Amino acid sequence: MSILKIAWRSIQHRGLGSLLTVISMALGVMMVVSVLSINGLVSRSFRNNSSFGYDLIVGARGGGTQLTLSSVFFLGRAIETIPYEYYLAFCDKETRSKEFRNSIAYRGNEEQFRALEALNAVRMAPGSAGWGAIAEGLATDFLNRHQTAFMQIDERGLFSNYVNFAVPILLGDTYQIENSDAYFKVCATNRDYFDKLTLGEGKKFELASGRFFDNDDSEVGYFGCVMGALVAKTSGKKVGDQIKVTHGIPGESGAHIHDQLFTITGILAPTGTPNDRVVFANMEGFYLINDHVKPVVESTGINLRPDRDEAKSLADEGTKPGVELSDEELSTVRLPVEQRELTALLVSVFDEEGFGLAAQYLQQPIEQGNLASTLNWSKFRPLQAQTSAQCVNPVQEVMRLFVYFVEPAKWILLALTTLICVVSGLSILVGIYNSMSQRQHEIAVMRALGARRSHVMLIMLTEAIMLALAGGLIGWLGGRALNVALSPIVERQTGVPVRFWDFAPAEPVFAVLSPLLGNSDFASRLVKFQMSPELLLIPGLIILAVLVGVYPAISAYRTDVAKSLGK
Amino acid sequence: MNLAVRIRNLEKHYVLKSETVRALRGVSFDVPAGDYVAIMGPSGSGKSTLLNLLGCLDKPTSGSYFLGDDDVAQMNDDQLSEIRASRLGFVFQSYNLIQQLTVVENIEVPLYYMDRINAKSRQRSIALAKMVGLGERLDHRPTQLSGGQQQRVAIARSLVNDPYFILADEATGNLDSVTTAEILALFQKLNDEGRTIIMVTHEDEVAEHAKRVIRLRDGLIQSDVINTHRKVFPPEVLAKAANPSEPIPALTAG
Repeated sequence: MSILKIAWRSIQHRGLGSLLTVISMALGVMMVVSVLSINGLVSRSFRNNSSFGYDLIVGARGGGTQLTLSSVFFLGRAIETIPYEYYLAFCDKETRSKEFRNSIAYRGNEEQFRALEALNAVRMAPGSAGWGAIAEGLATDFLNRHQTAFMQIDERGLFSNYVNFAVPILLGDTYQIENSDAYFKVCATNRDYFDKLTLGEGKKFELASGRFFDNDDSEVGYFGCVMGALVAKTSGKKVGDQIKVTHGIPGESGAHIHDQLFTITGILAPTGTPNDRVVFANMEGFYLINDHVKPVVESTGINLRPDRDEAKSLADEGTKPGVELSDEELSTVRLPVEQRELTALLVSVFDEEGFGLAAQYLQQPIEQGNLASTLNWSKFRPLQAQTSAQCVNPVQEVMRLFVYFVEPAKWILLALTTLICVVSGLSILVGIYNSMSQRQHEIAVMRALGARRSHVMLIMLTEAIMLALAGGLIGWLGGRALNVALSPIVERQTGVPVRFWDFAPAEPVFAVLSPLLGNSDFASRLVKFQMSPELLLIPGLIILAVLVGVYPAISAYRTDVAKSLGK
Repeated sequence: MNLAVRIRNLEKHYVLKSETVRALRGVSFDVPAGDYVAIMGPSGSGKSTLLNLLGCLDKPTSGSYFLGDDDVAQMNDDQLSEIRASRLGFVFQSYNLIQQLTVVENIEVPLYYMDRINAKSRQRSIALAKMVGLGERLDHRPTQLSGGQQQRVAIARSLVNDPYFILADEATGNLDSVTTAEILALFQKLNDEGRTIIMVTHEDEVAEHAKRVIRLRDGLIQSDVINTHRKVFPPEVLAKAANPSEPIPALTAG
């Protein structure tokens, strides 16, 4: 009959007490497993949401964190806007040409531009020497007046060689659910958002129903929208339904519902990202909403942008009010480039080496004002426009947030669970302690029959360890089972699936000990060593059990056989 | 004569607060193998102290106590544990079986502490259980047995290590008169077979079954006499007291 068997019989003997002890231990361990898993999920979810298929965010100068939060997580208020030309600076020649033909500058001088194109064609044609000279003269004359515009807009964008793509987004409006206070952010963008951006780990956007809108949709024109999964679920809207968006945040001053109807072309499958909480509207339609048209003024010179004061005085005088389009025109004609603005650009940087360094190098020229030089092509400007831009690395921003907020929260959680474990350990101690007087007699009997002190001590320790292990194992399995049971909900919320054997992610578990370890080679290696904290659970429990088992063990050791037998 | 126990000038002092209590003040006696001794005395006479010393549960302040050839008065705690496991057979008033173990397991506990658990030892434990009439109840727990049955298990347990003597402490104190007689008959039968028995009791009706009576008073031996009026059970009672149908396998080394 081994010590294990005796200890086991002793546990059996105290059936209910042992059971309660094991249950409390199991609950403690279950909580630890849950906390570790939640922590792992939060980390992974954060990481997933910060690998979104783009490297840089360009927006108006302001807080980089704010720009990241509003553009990546759709949290907080969007900051100022930037000119639409900044988007064009990242576009290829074809897109720019197309956009150019959709500008006030082009519309106002359409004949000249057409003539210029014709002349160019003639000039290039073989055997047209005579006409060529005339064309040359005309072209020179025209170019003198429109040189900059021609040169800039028909060429490639300033940064288009360095990027894979840039996706424009425009924030600030909301969608308030009818007859409810609940509202969701609206993000105006174009088709590229779904085609080019990815979710965590390279996953593409998927639709639960319907389809993505086209920029110029054959069915709904410019007024298509796609709903995030949570928005659709909350509002109960279906593909084909029409919604109105609110200017600003409902309930705040200046907020009002736009009359324009957007048709839902699709509903996103749950992504486990902030995208679930957003309505994506076609930017083209969004620009055509009355309030979104920026009044423009014509500046004094072709090649010079008016400075702020000058533009203001021009507006005050009411002179040269620029080009106003009628309402009818608005519904069919795209908003001219000059009247457009953006909240942010999501830029994927072309990175041949793949070290993420290209993004770093691009950040500076973008920030240092090169973008502003792209504004000179047209003499039409919005009345008030912010031109200074900032460029942030969202991953860096997110990681900074992570370190500031999520890490401390994790430590608090871990401290709590450690406490839970200690409490569970104490429950083992209490369980054994409460039966101690009964045990004293039992120990005395064993001692009288020849058991050594070390033997009865070992029995007590073994019993504590067995209880802890049983509780730990049940708790661990329970925690895992709980995770699996909750997996569908968790996956919906975070986008991270949970499987039974997914351990909490590895991390430098011994880093906490670094102040105690000194500077030896072993210590520095230990601090850097990474493993899943879950694997420490069982050894940790054994240590705990030994700690709480020591008291009963010593008490067993000291039992006065003669006295205890007499009881 | 082969001695089971040889005690010389055994003293035991307890220090209580500032006072020293001299519980035993120099006790000497021998117990030859095969003897059946009753130790008697009123409370405070040093009876319990002597019992603890005889049972190697406590160490004397001075004097010597030879159990066979070894002076256990000089031994440390672990050595005493070994002596208890290998040379003594305890029978207590409250039986002191281990509640979570079965009848057979309880019987073999001392062997476990001697490291003598093996296939044969189980046979020996079972044979002893049968001998005390509990062959049908090998897998029962102590709580499922009557007082008399529990005491029979305890007696079987006291025999399993083939001890130098059986030390019985008020072994019949918790039993009714009929059961008491059964247990005493069993003791007599064991003694008839050559077992040495030392029993501590305060009841004259129990003591009168012993061959010899030692009376203590104030920590000293008051009298040590052969029991001339010894009560002996008739053979037909003895025949019922134990079941000799099966030979008991000898104790073998671990």
